[in-house]
Amino acid sequence: MTTAVRILVVDDEQHVRNSLATWFREDGYEVATAASGKEALAALAREGTNILLVDIKMPGMDGLELQRKVRELAPDATIIIMTAYASVETAVQALKEGAYDYIVKPFDPEEVSRLVRKAAERYSLLAENRALRERLADALPTLVATPGGAMASVLELVDRVAPTDTSVLITGESGTGKELVARLVHAKSNRRFGPFVAVNCGALAEGVLESELFGHERGAFTGAVARRRGKVELADEGTLFLDEIGDVSPKVQVDMLRVLQERVLTRVGGNAGVPVNFRLVTATHRDLEEEVAADRFREDFYFRINVFTIHLPALRERPEDIPILAQHFLKQFTSQMSRRVAGFSADAMAALVAYPWPGNVRELANAVERAVVMCRGDQIEAKLFPFAAAPPASESSLAAVEEAHIRRVLASCSYNVAGAARILEVDRVTLYNKMKKYGIERP
Amino acid sequence: MPVRVRLLALGEVPPRLAEAVLGRLPPPYLGGEAGRLDVSLERCYDRQRAQVDAACLIEQVAAPEPGWVAMGLTGVDLFMPALTYVFGISAIGGRRGIVSWFRLRPEESGPTAGPLLARRVITEVVHELGHAVGLVHCVVPDCAMHRSLWPEGVDLKRAEYCPACLATLSTLLG
Repeated sequence: MTTAVRILVVDDEQHVRNSLATWFREDGYEVATAASGKEALAALAREGTNILLVDIKMPGMDGLELQRKVRELAPDATIIIMTAYASVETAVQALKEGAYDYIVKPFDPEEVSRLVRKAAERYSLLAENRALRERLADALPTLVATPGGAMASVLELVDRVAPTDTSVLITGESGTGKELVARLVHAKSNRRFGPFVAVNCGALAEGVLESELFGHERGAFTGAVARRRGKVELADEGTLFLDEIGDVSPKVQVDMLRVLQERVLTRVGGNAGVPVNFRLVTATHRDLEEEVAADRFREDFYFRINVFTIHLPALRERPEDIPILAQHFLKQFTSQMSRRVAGFSADAMAALVAYPWPGNVRELANAVERAVVMCRGDQIEAKLFPFAAAPPASESSLAAVEEAHIRRVLASCSYNVAGAARILEVDRVTLYNKMKKYGIERP
Repeated sequence: MPVRVRLLALGEVPPRLAEAVLGRLPPPYLGGEAGRLDVSLERCYDRQRAQVDAACLIEQVAAPEPGWVAMGLTGVDLFMPALTYVFGISAIGGRRGIVSWFRLRPEESGPTAGPLLARRVITEVVHELGHAVGLVHCVVPDCAMHRSLWPEGVDLKRAEYCPACLATLSTLLG
C-alpha cells in the first residue's frame, strides 16, 4: 500500500523477524531485519529507516538502549516497541523516552497493521510538513511588506496569535492571501507537526460539504460504498482551515458549532461520536457582521469563530508594496519559465502602481506571469498589461462599467473563466451569464 | 501469460469447495486442477497456541513447474509466530501459498452460511494467488488484493483484481 516507507524489524528471534517481514512486505513496505541492536544500528547507518519495530528484551543491547542510540542517529524515526506481557513496564518506560507506541506479543493482525499504518501516515505527514514549510518559505515574500506598512502589522498579529490555540478569522478581499496567512498561522503554531487541512466551503453544495467535513458511514447515501473520514477528523492534532466560511449554509453552521462546542463529531449516517482536537482558522471575503445583521449568518457561530480577527488589506490600500511584489513575481516566473527578463520599464511600474487591482495579489501575479510570457525584449513594457492597454474609462452607466471590468479581468486571465470568476468573486455560471449578456466571447 | 492453479487439499476439505474455487478464478488464471497434499500438520502444530504455524506449513508446499501456482487449502487455524492468526500466507512471487477457511466461517449457521463461506474462500484464494505471483496489497477497497483483517472485511471485496493490479500482473507475468 505504501512504497516510500522503510521498516526495520529488530528481534533476536528469527521467526518473529521473518513473520513480520512477510506481513509488512505484503503491504508494499520495504522491510529489513536485524537480529540485535548492533545489527540494527549498522542497518540504520547504511540504509536509513522510517519505522523501527524493536523487541524490548534482546541479549546485549536491549530495546531501551537501542532506542536511545536511534534517537541520536535518526531523531525523525518512529520507534514501536515489541514486548511480552512480562515486560510491559519496561515498554511504558520506552514510551516515556519517546517511543511512538508499544505492542504486546503475539500481535493481533488488525492492531499491528493499524499501528504501523498510523506510524507510516505520521512519517508521510512529517515529510509533507517539511515540503509545506519549504513552499511557505517560497510564498512568504508575497506577504512581505514595507516596514511599518499595513502588512507589517498583519505579520505581527500572526506572530502573536499563532502559538495560542485561539480560533482565527481572516478577512479580506479575494486574492489578498488569506490561505497563505492561515498556513503561516499553522506553521508558527504548536500544531505545526500536525496536518493543515483546507476546505473551500464556497465551492461545495450543502450535502457535499457536510460529507466532506464530517465524513460518512458506509451506506449513508447512494454511492457511500465505504466509511470515509471527513476533513475535520483528518485535521486531528492540526489546523482546520475553512475558506469562504461566509458561504456556509445555516445547517452546516449549526453542525460545525456543535463540533466546536463539544469537540466531538458524528459522521453522516452514523451515531457514534468521534472525538476531535483541532485549531480552527476561517476566512471570508464577506462582511460577517453585515451577514449576521441580515440573518444570513448565525450570531452564535460568528462569535465562536471570530475570537481573533486578522484583516488583510487590499493591494490598492498598500500601493507601496506593489513594486516589491511585482519584482518577486517577476523573479519567480522568469525562473519557472527559464526566461531572461531584467525588470520593468518605468512606465510599466507606474501602470502597476496606479492600477486598483480588484483581484489583489493574485491578479498582480497573473498579470506579471502573462507579461513574462508575452515579453519579447529584456524588460516588461506597460503595453503588456491588458489594463494599461485598455482605453481610458469613459463608461457612464453601471452596466458599461461592469462590462468593461469583466472584459479587463478576463483579458488579464487569458480568458480563463474559472480564474476570472475567482477574481470577480462570482461563480462561473454567473460569469457565463454576464458574458452572454454583454456579448463577450473568448478570442 | 496465463497461469494455471494447482489447488491442494491439506487435510479435509468441504465437498465441491475446490471445484467451486477453480470454476470461479478470474483472469489471468486459466483454471487448473484439484489435488491433495499429504503433509504432516502435526509437525507444524503449536500445542501451546493450539494453532498451526503457517510459515512451517508453506514449506511443505513444493514450488510448481513454470506456468503454475500451487495453493494449499486447509481448515486448520493458522498463525505466524508474531501474530495471533492469519487467513493465509504466500511467498511473494514464490508461486505457492496456503489459505485457511478456519476463521472465514460465518458466525451464524443456516442456508446462506455455505455459499458465504465459499465466496470468502474464493476471494482469499484469489488474494493469496496475487501475492504468489508478485502482487502486494492494494488500496482499492473492493479489489481482491485489499488487505482484510476480519471475515466481514473479505465480504467487501470482489474475487477479482482492480485494473491497476491487473496492469501490474500483466507486467509481472510478461
